[in-house]
Amino acid sequence: MKTGGQVDLKRTQELFWELITAPEGVRAAIDSLSRRGLVDEPSLNSLFTGDQGLPAVERLDIYANMYFYRLLDCLAEDFPKTLAAVGPARFHNLVTDYLLRHPSEHPSLRYLGQRLPQFIATHPLLEAFPHLADLARLEWARADVFDAPDVQPLSRDVLARLPQDRAGDARFTLIPAFALLRFDHEVVSFWRKLDERAGGHAGTAAASGAAIHGGGSGNAAREAPDPGASPSGEVPEPPSLPAPARRSAAARVWRRDFIVYHCSLDEEEARCLDLVLAGESIGRICQQLAAGRSLVKATARAGRMMQGWLEDGILAEVALNETTR
Amino acid sequence: MPLKAVRSSMSPDSAPNRDRSDGRPSFLGHGVGLRRDHFERVLSDPAAVDWFEALSENFMVEGGRPLDVLTRVRERYPVVLHGVSLSIGSTDPLDQAYLARLDALARRFQPAWVSDHLCWTGVGGRNAHDLLPLPYTEAALDHVVERVQRVQERLGRPIALENVSSYVAYRHSALAEWEFLAEVALRSGCGILLDINNIYVSARNHGFDPGAYLEGIPPHKVWQFHLAGHSDKGAYLLDTHDHPVIDPVWELYREAVLRFGPVSTLIEWDDRIPAFERLEQESQRARAIHDEALPRLAGPAAVTAAPAGRPAGLGSHP
Repeated sequence: MKTGGQVDLKRTQELFWELITAPEGVRAAIDSLSRRGLVDEPSLNSLFTGDQGLPAVERLDIYANMYFYRLLDCLAEDFPKTLAAVGPARFHNLVTDYLLRHPSEHPSLRYLGQRLPQFIATHPLLEAFPHLADLARLEWARADVFDAPDVQPLSRDVLARLPQDRAGDARFTLIPAFALLRFDHEVVSFWRKLDERAGGHAGTAAASGAAIHGGGSGNAAREAPDPGASPSGEVPEPPSLPAPARRSAAARVWRRDFIVYHCSLDEEEARCLDLVLAGESIGRICQQLAAGRSLVKATARAGRMMQGWLEDGILAEVALNETTR
Repeated sequence: MPLKAVRSSMSPDSAPNRDRSDGRPSFLGHGVGLRRDHFERVLSDPAAVDWFEALSENFMVEGGRPLDVLTRVRERYPVVLHGVSLSIGSTDPLDQAYLARLDALARRFQPAWVSDHLCWTGVGGRNAHDLLPLPYTEAALDHVVERVQRVQERLGRPIALENVSSYVAYRHSALAEWEFLAEVALRSGCGILLDINNIYVSARNHGFDPGAYLEGIPPHKVWQFHLAGHSDKGAYLLDTHDHPVIDPVWELYREAVLRFGPVSTLIEWDDRIPAFERLEQESQRARAIHDEALPRLAGPAAVTAAPAGRPAGLGSHP
């Protein structure tokens, strides 16, 4: 490789990247490049420093390990239940596959896991763990609302000030730190069981003061786990829990006072939240609830539901013609 | 080798807190990195440190607890924003969206200064989230200097760049790392964040003299020191930030204080993070070495040292 000039700097960086991101290590990357007639080991040794104590390949392997394990750590932090569900060895392989398809393209590690749930939905692991994409979607939603914009939740007083005769025309706005999810599996209860097994203390609404994405780990180097930690070099896998039932389910995820919560929803409440998200009026929501109910029962159901939304702090505003806070 | 003289595009007036006779920003004293493990502790009790360094990317978010914590920390202490993804040495175009977020963060929190690393972190639109080494060539120097100037113009302030720990080097490097770092600072007008532990780690990994490194850095460009622990892997040292600072690094720090005078000093501890009090102890040890070494300096030190834990206020560090 020629030296000097930006073209060569670019080629050098592309080669460096290819070497340190190869899933089977630098040696395998060199063999692959050599077979393609691009770079062989002697030319690599003329580019990078190395000596008997620490050859160039081993020096580059330090970077290869740091690359993979930093990103693995980040995904393990954002998807702890997904990791617990499949165990460290399968999660390791899943992350290897994921990073090949979706290397980080953002300056912040916060977005690294954004496409993991969809990726799992197309991954062979889904055969053995059909609920895994749903579980990962729940975890990503929790990570996503953690740093969504702050909004003061709607107060009961503001809602009470709505003119009675026009309340049906009013529309709610939800807080930005909110997500409505639908699943094909009962992953909310499965999440709770995993949390309990890990020593968590989640109540009805699973709470967590989640962390900074990527662990806020700064620029510290990352290492592969100590191979002596277990005979296989991997953390022993915990006994698996029974898989969650395949059944349509819904959940909402939200943040209040910097704590992230989620809970199961029945389909009726999920449909009502769909209407809120679509900007429909309170009257339209009540119509939804009136189907098959007496007016008294429908009103009581609407009252309980909205009371829950108020108490959980998922409503941001209620508006008639102009914004009312 | 003759090195081109390029004037900095930044005027001296645009530097932050340039209240020292040599143009360096204010001496902040001795600080530690702000990490989530210590959020509650830092907010609940006065800390025996003078300032905090926040990792820029962790706060490039729209809301939530980290931003709230940083807001409250900034009300009480000076803060420096320290990034890991500027990728100043990459051959990719500068990420304008990233710079816009960094600019917004700096405007909001009014840091004493903004820093990142003399390295590249990705190419082809991909990010390794690691601090990858540059070849120290004239071409790379021109490339980095031009980009630093564009970043400084975009942010409206000079930045500081940190020397990284490295494990491999390029045989075609024409300059020593310290020569490259010094030239980047002199040509672009940026400051230097001198990581004393990184000098020690790289010196062991590449077989150079850490004293020569210090001798090669122009004192008036050094804005900040970093101190951290590392791991000895036998054949090499790894910059893990998960141990106390070792004695030879403390000794190198003492030499740095003697050469560079009072320089704001920060303890980094990023993995296996201990109780905050342990970081305070490390910071106090740095302060003691600094205070012991300073009287040996010849000539007046044109600084005003900050008392420990002084309140800063959002408006006090423009």
